[in-house]
Amino acid sequence: MQASDSFRSRRPPSPSGARQTLTTGLPAAVPRFPQPRYVEEGTYPPQQMSADEKLAAVRQDHNAMPATFGRPSGAAGLGGRLGGGLGRISSGEWKILIAVLLVACSIRLFRISKPNSVVFDEVHFGKFAGKYIRTRYYVDVHPPLAKLLLTLAAWIGGFTGEFDFKEIGMAYPDSVPYVLMRMVPAVLGVLLVPITYLTLRALDCSASTSLLGSILIIFENGLVTQSRHILLDSPLLFFTGLSVMFWVMFCNEDKRPQHKAPTVHGAKGVVISGPFSRIWWTYLLLTGLSLGAVVSCKWVGLFTIATIGASTIKQLWALLGDLHIPASLWMRHFIARAICLIAVPLLFYMAMFEIHFSILRNSGDGDAFMSSEFQHTLQGKEMHDTYADVAIGSTVTIRHVNTQGGYLHSHPHNYPGGSKQQQITLYPHIDSNNDWLIVPALDPSHSNTTDPMKTLTYLKPGSVVRFRHIKTGKHLHSHDVRPPVSEVDFQQEVSGYGFEGFEGDANDNFIIELDEEGGGDDGGRKGNGRGWGGDRESGRRVRTLRSILKFRHQLTGCYLFSHKVKLPDWAYEQQEVTCNKNAVRMNSLWYIETNENPLLPVDAEKVNYKLPGFFGKFLELQKVMWQTNAGLTSRHAYDSRPHHWPFLRRGINFWVQNHRHIYLIGNPFTWWLSSISVLLYIGVRGLLVLREKRGYKDFHHSAVVKYDQLIGFTVLGWALHYLPFFLMGRQLFLHHYFPALYFSILTFASVFDLVTSTMSPRRRIQVAAVIMALSIWTFAHFSPLAYGNPWTKKHCMSAKWLKTWDFSCYDYHDDYSQYRITTSAPAGEVVHTHAIPASPSAAGVNPAVKPVENLPEPEVLTKAIQKEKLEPGRDVFEAQPIDDLNERLKANLAMTGANAPVDPKEKEKLKELEKSKAEASKNAQKEAEELEGKVGPLLPSELAKVGERVEKKVSSADTKVEEHVEEKPLGKIGEKSEAGSVDPTTVQSVEKKEATDKPE
Amino acid sequence: MSTGARRRGIRLPQPDSPGNGSGPDGLSPRSLTPDPTHDSTVGDEDPRSVSRSFPAASGPPEPEYIHNIACVAITAIAFALRFYKINHPDQVVFDEVHFGKFAAYYILREYYFDVHPPFAKLLLGLAGWFVGFDGRFEFEAIGDSYSQHHVPYVGMRAMPAVFGSLTVPVVYQIMKECGFPVVICTFTAALIALDNGHIVQTRLILLDAALIFFIALSLYAYIRFRKVRYSEFSRAWWGWMVATGVFLACSLGCKMVGLFTFFTIGTAVLVDLWDILDIRKKYPMDVVLKHFFARALGLIVVPFIVYSSFFWVHFKVLSHSGTGDSFMSPEFQESLSGNELLMKSHEIRYYDTVTLKHKDTKVFLHSHKERYPLKYKDGRISSQGQQVTGYPHEDLNNQWQVIPSKAIPETGRGRVVRHNDAVQLLHISTQSYLLTHDVASPTMPTNQEVTTIAKEDARSRYNETLFTIDIINGHPGQPWKSKASHFRLVHVPTKVSIWTHPKALPEWAFKQQEVNGNKNSEERTATWFVDDIVIPAEDEDLFSREGGPKEKVVKKMNFFRKYAELQLLALQHNAGLTASHPYASGPINWPFLLSGISFWTNNEKLQQIYMVGNVFGWWTCVVALSVFTGIIGADLLARRRGIQPIPEFVRNRLWNSTGFFFIAWAFHYFPFFLMNRQLFLHHYLPAHLCSVLVTGAVFNFIAGESINYPISVPGPGMRRMPTARSDVGMKAVIAAVLYAIPYLAMFFFLAPLTYGTPGLNGDQVNRRLLLPSWTLHFAGKATTS
Repeated sequence: MQASDSFRSRRPPSPSGARQTLTTGLPAAVPRFPQPRYVEEGTYPPQQMSADEKLAAVRQDHNAMPATFGRPSGAAGLGGRLGGGLGRISSGEWKILIAVLLVACSIRLFRISKPNSVVFDEVHFGKFAGKYIRTRYYVDVHPPLAKLLLTLAAWIGGFTGEFDFKEIGMAYPDSVPYVLMRMVPAVLGVLLVPITYLTLRALDCSASTSLLGSILIIFENGLVTQSRHILLDSPLLFFTGLSVMFWVMFCNEDKRPQHKAPTVHGAKGVVISGPFSRIWWTYLLLTGLSLGAVVSCKWVGLFTIATIGASTIKQLWALLGDLHIPASLWMRHFIARAICLIAVPLLFYMAMFEIHFSILRNSGDGDAFMSSEFQHTLQGKEMHDTYADVAIGSTVTIRHVNTQGGYLHSHPHNYPGGSKQQQITLYPHIDSNNDWLIVPALDPSHSNTTDPMKTLTYLKPGSVVRFRHIKTGKHLHSHDVRPPVSEVDFQQEVSGYGFEGFEGDANDNFIIELDEEGGGDDGGRKGNGRGWGGDRESGRRVRTLRSILKFRHQLTGCYLFSHKVKLPDWAYEQQEVTCNKNAVRMNSLWYIETNENPLLPVDAEKVNYKLPGFFGKFLELQKVMWQTNAGLTSRHAYDSRPHHWPFLRRGINFWVQNHRHIYLIGNPFTWWLSSISVLLYIGVRGLLVLREKRGYKDFHHSAVVKYDQLIGFTVLGWALHYLPFFLMGRQLFLHHYFPALYFSILTFASVFDLVTSTMSPRRRIQVAAVIMALSIWTFAHFSPLAYGNPWTKKHCMSAKWLKTWDFSCYDYHDDYSQYRITTSAPAGEVVHTHAIPASPSAAGVNPAVKPVENLPEPEVLTKAIQKEKLEPGRDVFEAQPIDDLNERLKANLAMTGANAPVDPKEKEKLKELEKSKAEASKNAQKEAEELEGKVGPLLPSELAKVGERVEKKVSSADTKVEEHVEEKPLGKIGEKSEAGSVDPTTVQSVEKKEATDKPE
Repeated sequence: MSTGARRRGIRLPQPDSPGNGSGPDGLSPRSLTPDPTHDSTVGDEDPRSVSRSFPAASGPPEPEYIHNIACVAITAIAFALRFYKINHPDQVVFDEVHFGKFAAYYILREYYFDVHPPFAKLLLGLAGWFVGFDGRFEFEAIGDSYSQHHVPYVGMRAMPAVFGSLTVPVVYQIMKECGFPVVICTFTAALIALDNGHIVQTRLILLDAALIFFIALSLYAYIRFRKVRYSEFSRAWWGWMVATGVFLACSLGCKMVGLFTFFTIGTAVLVDLWDILDIRKKYPMDVVLKHFFARALGLIVVPFIVYSSFFWVHFKVLSHSGTGDSFMSPEFQESLSGNELLMKSHEIRYYDTVTLKHKDTKVFLHSHKERYPLKYKDGRISSQGQQVTGYPHEDLNNQWQVIPSKAIPETGRGRVVRHNDAVQLLHISTQSYLLTHDVASPTMPTNQEVTTIAKEDARSRYNETLFTIDIINGHPGQPWKSKASHFRLVHVPTKVSIWTHPKALPEWAFKQQEVNGNKNSEERTATWFVDDIVIPAEDEDLFSREGGPKEKVVKKMNFFRKYAELQLLALQHNAGLTASHPYASGPINWPFLLSGISFWTNNEKLQQIYMVGNVFGWWTCVVALSVFTGIIGADLLARRRGIQPIPEFVRNRLWNSTGFFFIAWAFHYFPFFLMNRQLFLHHYLPAHLCSVLVTGAVFNFIAGESINYPISVPGPGMRRMPTARSDVGMKAVIAAVLYAIPYLAMFFFLAPLTYGTPGLNGDQVNRRLLLPSWTLHFAGKATTS
């Protein structure tokens, strides 16, 4: 029986002995390895076969002969029906698989409800789930599938979206079904285990190898940690594994000779195995669907697509070289793959976004990332139709085209410097301070006798007008004064000027110009002089929402301009507006959003935004995601670079509380072993290539060919999931390596299969058992970091195998008994606050794209006073308490119980602080009152206080800042390029820039 | 099999010139799949069966003198175009600002720092010295007049112009050596000779002329080397190989772009060695190794020596202190005569009062009475200690006294502060000790707050006021010196180092720079130095306590250490050049000439120099590159299906010779996509040269069915080969002439922008705005309104 277990006689099957040790209660009489079914199918002669194939087929049949007498096993039928190379899985193995699944469950789900507070990026993904449930629009760098799954769980659990997951360590209230939400990644994490097993089996590895592979996946600390929290990597990994499994099965099916069912009554025979059979199509389609799912979890899924794509190209290339295959058949192969592996994933991906858009119907905090057109598709952001024609006497709001369309804004506060006139800013929210009245230019000769405000005069290119701020009555004004922040020669301050009874001066006049090229790349609103949205009139006169305008200052010729530079506190950090003589075109474009004119007849033509359809929205969001992603370049305290990953140089701090710690770190044993096996393959393969060149016939050995293809595939997957990260400038984390890790573990399993292929079954399972035991031991050793379990300093220190692992052992107690005291602390109370920043990979953190948002606006201010926190935001992780402090700590504990702030170092300070706290909160209250009472910012008082010496310092500091204003006049004569060299000052500034990039 | 071509030539002279097989081998399906049909394919390949596909030789080869006449003629044109009005403008143009200045520094022998290697700049300096430039002109700004300052700038510009002109015959010879007929060679050389971009870049005091010349020369020498490959280890073989190495070193010595040429040649060499390794070539292993080591010697060791020697000369010439001092390490600076370090560095003793300056941001460690606010804006809370900040100006508040943490002798050398000593720093004006503790700094929660503690309270927190003087690269017992010692100030209990960054604190600290404790005690940017000893401890002269004012001798520093230091610095700074520039452009724009660079303008005469290539020529190159890719792709697919559309020997030339040019283009172009530094159109010029070579070859492929074959020098004892002759004939000449008409028209049309004369009025400028993305000056109002 044993001999016939496998149709490949050269490799002995998995030993039965091993299985008995692992699973109990298996009836010994059941044959382990029933004959795969397709051997029987092989009796149909394939239609086109090369000599080699025929030989192989004959050999197969020959080997299969004894097996055909085997018993008809139901289990074999299961594997056989699945096709895709799973036919070789025996019923016994299915039982092992179930056992493995149970182990996986117990490892991944163990105390999943602990900790009952927000861990690491749950901050983001929990929040997003809340936003889905409240249907508030948000923007994130990741596609929606995984987040939708999390949302589904949250929704089923009755989450209402009230909890905001604000920061790491916040305790979950009862209303948050966080356990259910964590179950999603956890269950998918568990399912990765059988996927691993089946993938390895389908790759023609032995059962013991597959068992080893799945055990390594179960006991991988990093995967365990990552899959136990509300994070996206576990779904990502699950779908990656799924894609690979389906693809491998598809390849197995593809390799089988095609044969058709016997023709019945002259009807065409149905293909029942091999290419174009139903099962072949099924696997191809499933591969496509799961590829769509991977890429809908995270864009990293593109690497999976690349892996499968490379494999497909290789397949097609081989087919192309097979001259027996006619071109038409090759085209069928090609088209089938193109449909299933390109079109299907794309459709799937788009469908996810369709769901995304249809859920997020309401305006939310992601609005500001999107174009105005997009925003108007959201409920709560709609705008009424507005009059199309702009004329003198119109009350308008003017938006900036480029910087997420803030409104031209003014408020009754003056510039502290420069002309000290009223501030003009760009403000992103609708507000009555955005209203401007268009009045005719000052006409000193008074030649025009008719009052222009009484007659309807349409605005045309070349019209000279003034803009009167309705609330304050000032005119938009510019003059030869440097603006507050961009103090360069070619920039002029823009201010609000004028007072009651004063008509203003010629510096209020602006000439209206239509932009020749339209809105450029802004949301597809190509104008080509005809305005947006195909409104032909908008190229001739000013039309609301359709014409793109430039405002040229009549006297100085500069253009009204705004850019992503924020004004300081005194202007509530709103965006700077200047008048620029060398304006970048895109930053000097404006359009009119709303328009009211009493002179217009009621039935005058009205317009509104042209709302984008699904494709418009989809493409726009992709672009925003891409930009946001590329903008994530700031450093994070726990980020790492790709070259650190394969050898696990550093982990990520997820959570610290109550002397417990969750720290993402892999199982070093598994990790190193798999990395080494990858390197080993690359080295050996290189050697083989060299040897082949010198005439050695290694590649004539069928085992070498088989394992070369097998390991080559997994190493290719590893390389494609790993190497592209080197090209990414953005912030990266250890968990970005996980998909590559999955492939490297598959590689290790395959290498193991290769190395043990000549061993006896018993020996093989023994070797596997040793490796499993080591890996389980390592897992156990580091498991307190994965589960946030109690640990002691001593154990923790002994687990610091590498100096670069920065989990902080000082947070643990000296002894386990101390944890019993701690547990009496009220659940969820934050004893340690600390500063683990969540990874900014999710949205809402990118200053480059994020517009000025929710700025305190003096008129509409409702600023809540933040509750004070008692501790300075110190970082507990790297600080190593000094010895005597430990003693103080103990004393402190004994004295107060565990409940008190445990940082004795701060204790004295705290007392002081508490004293001053009352004072401070009084101050804060006063501050709030002041603000509410619309008291302007109290800026210069400080300066006055400190006197002349200080003033000198301040101004010198200011001049320093000026030096680094990067803006250069565009179009200025012959700029020097750096090309040649650096003069020391530029180098300095470069270095300064570097310094700011350091951890923050 | 696509590799068949290569195998066929086993014992026969191969027609291909350089980069044998670099294309097909890498793409061969064999490297992906072990092909079961592999062996049989080899079997039916009889090397001798090749001859059947050869056409009869069509006529005698073109006589050598026609080649010579054409080459001389096109060279003469090149010289004429580059020297035409070379004295115009008599003003500093674009980067002459830098490179003119560097030439002046060489003449003055003052040390400077620059990211580019010195060879081309040395040549410019040499040219300046030769024509009698005294180095007294500053080249400060674009538009400064040369003639007013009596700078012999024409002589200095002549140098690049000569290189630029000589590039043209080199290109001609490359094509000729690759077996192309006269018309093709002339066509190719003309694409360089009459290119506005090349002309403008090579007639000014810039490095690119020399760079491009040596790149072309490297390619030429390597092709010659390949052609004598059958007489291996002969004198010519060695000669051309070493020449390749030397020229490579020269191009690398001009600019780091030369590295791409190294990669190009390196790839070709690897492919070549790969072939030699092939068992069917029947080379024994020791011969293979001999080949390997010969190439390592000629193409790695020789270039390294040549390249290093440029630096040796560089250091020898620049022996005086200059503008570049501050970039270098103290040891380096002390090797320059007249350097400040050399003059003013003193050992620091305990109780000296010193000022500490941050190396990168040049601010003093500063403190003043004001305290940190209790609560920051983000809600975090401080210790309310005294502020410690970075302040860029001299001030009494910058003074700190060095207090020992151990017993020291009354007098003598024991009072000198040494490496790794723990000290306290007493702030003089507030009489408080510097301290850092485990409280978050004002702006960075991850870093420690730095503050001071009053002298009287310091006893209880003594440990927290201790700092180690960690001199960078210091050895035990090394004295701590002002100016010369760069050090980190490492806090003893918490191991943070005192650090500052250019972020200004808010108003409460008068917008001074934040100082905090960086947890990474090895942080590179946490480097300080003692700017001055303000008040020596024992009121005596600094010189006398060191045993009298000694004659300061210039210290020696090993050449290799200097060399290594400079290389490292250049690399770091090159990567740091990320500031934006109005005329910087992305690589994707280059082949299509989407943007140029404004070099110089003259407002009065409406003259301007705008660096942009001959649009017609450049776009031809783009087309040629895509045609080549198409041909190669189609050939690959066809072969896979068993069809052989191109005769074997033509295909060989296409893959190996043209493929080599193509790879050269790819290597000189694509790496720029990975660079984050600011890039300019002129970075594309080397790649453009390679694309011109491809264009010539593609022209030949389209014009004729055949090629000149074989072209390699037959080795001793080899059989005669069947030969083939190129049949491009008259139709190619006619095509070339037809092509020349728009090409020349474009050249003359753009010439005013190239030569900066004559001036153009608004309309004329408008007409020359061939692409809307060009940013010419003095454009008429119609378009810019």
